[in-house]
Amino acid sequence: MLRRIALCVLSLGTSSGWPGSAAFAEATPTVPAPGYGTLAFTPPVPGSYRLPILGRAADGRVLADTAESVNLHDLMGDKIVLLSFIYATCSDINGCFLATAVFHKIKRRLQQQPELSGQLRLLTLSFDPQHDGPEQMRRYSEGFADKMVDWRFLTTALEAELEPILAHYGQNIQKIYDAQGSFTGSFSHNLRVYLIDRDKNLRNIYSTAFLHPDTLINDIKTLLQEPPQNRPSASAMLTGPVDKAVDLMETIRRPPLGLPPVPQPLDNPVTEKKIQLGRKLFFDRRLSLNDTLSCALCHIPEQGFTSQEMQTAVGIEGRTVRRNSPTLYNVAYANTLFHDSRETTLEQQVWGPLLAPNEMGNPAIGSIIEKIKHTDNYLALFEQAFGQRPDMATIGMAITSYERTLNSANSAFDRWYYGKDKQALNAAARRGFELFTGKAHCSRCHTISQQHALFTDNALHNTGIGYADSMAPVMTPQKLEIAPGIIIEVDKKQLVSVSEVKPNDLGRYEITQNPADRWRYKTPSLRNIGLTAPYMHNGSLATLEDVLVFYNEGGIANENLDPLLEPLKLNDNELSDLKAFLEALTGDNTVELVADALTAPIGDSE
Amino acid sequence: MNNLSYPSQTIKRRLLSACLLAASVFALPQALADETCMSPYMAKITGQEDFVYVWTLGMAGVGDEQDKLVTVDVNPESSHYGKVINTLSVGGRNEAHHSGFTDDRHYLWAGGLDTNKIFIFDVHTNPAKPKLTRVISDFVARSGGVVGPHTTYALPGRMLITGLSNNKDHGGRTALVEYSNDGRYLATYWHPTDTDLRGAVKTGQYADGYGYDVRVLPRRNLMLTSSFTGWSNYMMDFGKMLNDPAAMKHFGNTVVQWDLHARQPRKVFDVPGAPLEIRCAWGANHNYCFTSTALTSKIWLIYEDKNGAWQAKAVADIGDPGKIPLPVDISISSDDKTLWVNTFMDGTSRNFDISDPFNPKQIYQKKIGAQVNMVSSSWDGKRLYYTSSLLANWDKKGPDNEQFFKLYHWDGKQLQQQFVIDFIKEKLGRAHQMRFGAYSLYSGKIQALPAEPLAMAR
Repeated sequence: MLRRIALCVLSLGTSSGWPGSAAFAEATPTVPAPGYGTLAFTPPVPGSYRLPILGRAADGRVLADTAESVNLHDLMGDKIVLLSFIYATCSDINGCFLATAVFHKIKRRLQQQPELSGQLRLLTLSFDPQHDGPEQMRRYSEGFADKMVDWRFLTTALEAELEPILAHYGQNIQKIYDAQGSFTGSFSHNLRVYLIDRDKNLRNIYSTAFLHPDTLINDIKTLLQEPPQNRPSASAMLTGPVDKAVDLMETIRRPPLGLPPVPQPLDNPVTEKKIQLGRKLFFDRRLSLNDTLSCALCHIPEQGFTSQEMQTAVGIEGRTVRRNSPTLYNVAYANTLFHDSRETTLEQQVWGPLLAPNEMGNPAIGSIIEKIKHTDNYLALFEQAFGQRPDMATIGMAITSYERTLNSANSAFDRWYYGKDKQALNAAARRGFELFTGKAHCSRCHTISQQHALFTDNALHNTGIGYADSMAPVMTPQKLEIAPGIIIEVDKKQLVSVSEVKPNDLGRYEITQNPADRWRYKTPSLRNIGLTAPYMHNGSLATLEDVLVFYNEGGIANENLDPLLEPLKLNDNELSDLKAFLEALTGDNTVELVADALTAPIGDSE
Repeated sequence: MNNLSYPSQTIKRRLLSACLLAASVFALPQALADETCMSPYMAKITGQEDFVYVWTLGMAGVGDEQDKLVTVDVNPESSHYGKVINTLSVGGRNEAHHSGFTDDRHYLWAGGLDTNKIFIFDVHTNPAKPKLTRVISDFVARSGGVVGPHTTYALPGRMLITGLSNNKDHGGRTALVEYSNDGRYLATYWHPTDTDLRGAVKTGQYADGYGYDVRVLPRRNLMLTSSFTGWSNYMMDFGKMLNDPAAMKHFGNTVVQWDLHARQPRKVFDVPGAPLEIRCAWGANHNYCFTSTALTSKIWLIYEDKNGAWQAKAVADIGDPGKIPLPVDISISSDDKTLWVNTFMDGTSRNFDISDPFNPKQIYQKKIGAQVNMVSSSWDGKRLYYTSSLLANWDKKGPDNEQFFKLYHWDGKQLQQQFVIDFIKEKLGRAHQMRFGAYSLYSGKIQALPAEPLAMAR
């Protein structure tokens, strides 16, 4: 019987393809595995792909067919190894037969390739030591033995020696019992063949569908082509712009043209160590309750240090934040913080998002401090930066030290207006400047001074955007762009069924309780405005054109509408010139600041 | 399936059949149903499943508010039939979503799309009472920044995990991540983008780098991935997102064909409107897979043409796409003849005749509830299990937020409801993905097989 199986497999190996033998065809009413035939696809070229290290190939005590006891590891290391588990009486053509047939085919192929054959060892190990003693394995091997290719037929002395080997390789074997509960002599197992490199590491595992001489030989060649020092390491990076750290202190020492000296609190002068610590904290997702949100995930460097992919932010567990993430470019100059100006220093502002239940969701000041103390090397970094441990003051000071370096100006406008470079600003933008400071009244709120320009009066105004949000009926039906260029109307009832109740937003009133402050919001700077869409406190205007049209119409009428707003009657050319001016406010160092940010380590739970 | 037959019923051949069914799995075009959603590399439940494991999202205000693996006894011969027999709370609301067994079916890996934790349950020691044996909590750090572990898909000795997002911008650029069965990180494969196609050919307008599901056809060396959206969108309130044109611009529009063996992308297809679940046909010569687009409500066929090149084609509408029925889970029958498609917004399960894969036709529909997401079928297609939750913040609000696990029987003509478990009343949470458990997988005995095991499919 054993002899017959061996011969049949041998004949499979020598025949051009499946079906080969009538005996098999009769006994196996199923589709033979790909390994018997011609590979049905073009396999990837050897060396064009990598085989990750799956783990250590396990050792174990086995018996050679000479009955000599050896360690599996003694049969590895000098050569690449293919290891299969079989039992000699197996009648499953897509199981053990397949493994042996494929090994046999590989052997025959390698006879023509001595440069490969000397580097490979085939191991066939029985998982039926009760029946498959060394003598049985020797008989099983007849017809396969070959001087060119090193093929060993192994078994174990005891099931107790076999079991840990099977467990380590994840080779599950189940005995098959008949209806009366008697062992039938057959096993159920998922066919697995293991590729082991010369460092005794597992590099691939093949199942029935993938066990084919072509793919196995290619994988062997791939391992042989692998330079030892270049074996795969477990890392990968998202591709992005070229990442390069910059000297962030430089934006403090020498603020870009168009910006005044950077204000620094007397008790928190910016230092290199504080910047580095603050930067690490800024990108650390563990600063949120469930380790998912860092500061940088709403103030995304590549998106203008705001979030361009949504109108208003999303906090912990996806909770709704009512307002658009403000950009952090030039935040050092802000004398009040948040859209409603409720916070007065940047150091204090830091704690707002950390503690907001719909932002980073931390339950307490103390819990954040404790978490930071026990994360990475923060204790040492705080000691180095402040000479003290993290606390409510130093955490705010560190993060703001990084934020205070995000200064960006020396835009085309700055080079033209302050640098007196006549070529710096194009004609359209120059006309836009005239409108900005003249007929369009923009600079009444987005102020420009003789020495520098922050483009904000740091005051609050009611433009009607907030009023409309609170008071106007929801428009129905709603037009939705569900895929590029595919717009459909969705009915209100359907939309309501999946919508939370939209939280209201009353603006500055929420801080002062003064009805006159309803829907008043802080004037944002316009520096880098071309990088920070969508616009307004609620992100409701998608483009600069939308914003210009909005102001050209004088805002949205309501009893608290800022008197500075009135219909401007600008024509399309004028609006276009204004847009050109706004786009000329992009600083010349934003690419460097983003590239630096991309070098920052992102804190994730370990 | 039907092209196979078992000519005789000798003991030897029945044993051989059993061995083939249970063991050397893939080359066989098998008859499987829920199992058709699963990796071709693993052992299958070929008879009556004993348990359904429901990966359940914790819900604020409901019970202990945290994610849990809920075990339901579904064996009609059991005295606990139709009852929850075990719940295992894992801590936190992680946006529990999908789960998948290792190829040996000993462990169930269940991912959290928000916290990126992967919970590994031992389901073989006692299938009635899964045990949490390990939590991978460093998935993002190890993978180089992949966020949102979604599909956990068995390959021999390892798990392939699709991501949905990344830790740099919480957008849709993401990767596939490979782990060994013992939880060791192996590799990350980023999806091709316009700025880095990674050797792939862009066949249309898009190469967005987004991810969602993965399926393989090993005999064609094919791996397919689909594309959804990043953390910001899948975590956002559904209504808020629909009202936000900026957010709506960030959905996947691609299916990617990969070289399975090399794990390298080969072709990027335009499949606009968020293609989600992928199901491949099982017939030995059926070289095609289906996916459905959530937003544009279409069935797409990804098929190998007569020249051996893979193509993508929209082949049917699902309901009235103008009303956004929102197709979610799909389930292919074991004979490749029908495809169940659930539409979330109208809570309806629809059966399509796909015997001509280029012309699917809807032949039946039934409303399952106010909302419905997942459908899992027994291998003979006679039992269909349904759950309700899509994503915590996408589920319906108010009374329409029904959370259930339901069993229906399918007689080929209609669905008949057998039992319902109300997951809110039972203080469990939002019922999401289902996986089947059975004692027979681990008994060391092959379960009794009918005379014609493969022909029993239909």
